[in-house]
Amino acid sequence: MDKIRLLLTLITIAIVVIPIVGMLLAYQDNLLGLFVPPEITETADALFGGGGDNGPGLEPPTMVGEPEYDEETGTFSLSFEYTNSFPIDITINSLSGNIKCAEHHFTLGNASLNEAVSIDAGETGTLTVIGKWTDAAKRHFQNEHPDEEFVDVVLADLAVDISGIQIQMDENEMGEMQVPNPAY
Amino acid sequence: MNSILTKFNWFGLAGGVTTLLVIAVSLVYPWWQLTVGDDLLTVNASPVNMNLGFLDTSFTIPFILALNIVSILTLVASGIAMLIYSLIPRKSYSEHLLGFGYKKPLFTVLFFVIGLLVTTVICQAVLSLNIPLMGSATSTVPIPFVSGITLTVLLSAGFQWSFWLAIVAAGLCIAARLYHKKVASTPSAMTVK
Repeated sequence: MDKIRLLLTLITIAIVVIPIVGMLLAYQDNLLGLFVPPEITETADALFGGGGDNGPGLEPPTMVGEPEYDEETGTFSLSFEYTNSFPIDITINSLSGNIKCAEHHFTLGNASLNEAVSIDAGETGTLTVIGKWTDAAKRHFQNEHPDEEFVDVVLADLAVDISGIQIQMDENEMGEMQVPNPAY
Repeated sequence: MNSILTKFNWFGLAGGVTTLLVIAVSLVYPWWQLTVGDDLLTVNASPVNMNLGFLDTSFTIPFILALNIVSILTLVASGIAMLIYSLIPRKSYSEHLLGFGYKKPLFTVLFFVIGLLVTTVICQAVLSLNIPLMGSATSTVPIPFVSGITLTVLLSAGFQWSFWLAIVAAGLCIAARLYHKKVASTPSAMTVK
């Protein structure tokens, strides 16, 4: 009976010691790799701009083309290009933000993505954002910018939902852009 | 009828079979799963198999793999010991087998739950990441070297059916220990540690 007890004790010790010691020996030249495999480091670098091959990581979208304004409906549309610098395909589920007058910081309206857009890794996709000037915005254009064909605005409080991850950017991240003055 | 009931330790038999079943099941189905975003990142955790899934890529941490192997071997030894004991519960060495086998599934479950709790507390303290054990939560993720951007992720987590199966296996093994008093009729039977 003592032999069985001894055998069971030895089995218990061997079960615990052999795999751990074996793994330690396998990684004795790279103990960090025992806890952080290189694949994780490479992926984190690619995602957050640590020198990955696919770019610097998070980048704000850039506005392309001229904004369009429909006088009848009071709606406007803006187009942005977004380069997917992530090493994975992504889907932009939503994008929304407030349009503010760059000079007076007056909120002119809000804008949102008209439909979800899927962009493959490394590719650039076009996002069409639509919005509507508020009545107060129209008055602001008439009162503060009556002689300007284009008005400088910023897209503030930009919120983007990329594959379930919400990214909130400061207004400075988007920079200034020009929109046609509906009161001109 | 009574002799059939006490000839074998049926709880031990069921516990041993369930323990071995838990190992097989846990290789495929995690005990606990954490999903980040729209299945962007998944953490599949169990004492038998733990990996990080990033879309189609799966990462395994070597040290965790070593602990997984320890758990697999421990549960295999426990299951086999419980099966052998259950079929011959009145042999003099059977109580050693019972003592060796019945606690391991319970300890495995306990260590797993404690490990999860400690990990989530560490993530909360060090990374300010609020990882739920069950249910969903949003958490703000710090982005190194980037300012002016706040990144919020939806984290969904929950225990899977394989975890509850492991609890059943642990319960059956404990029941086998309690039932042993009825099965072991020999007065010279040794006390199980």
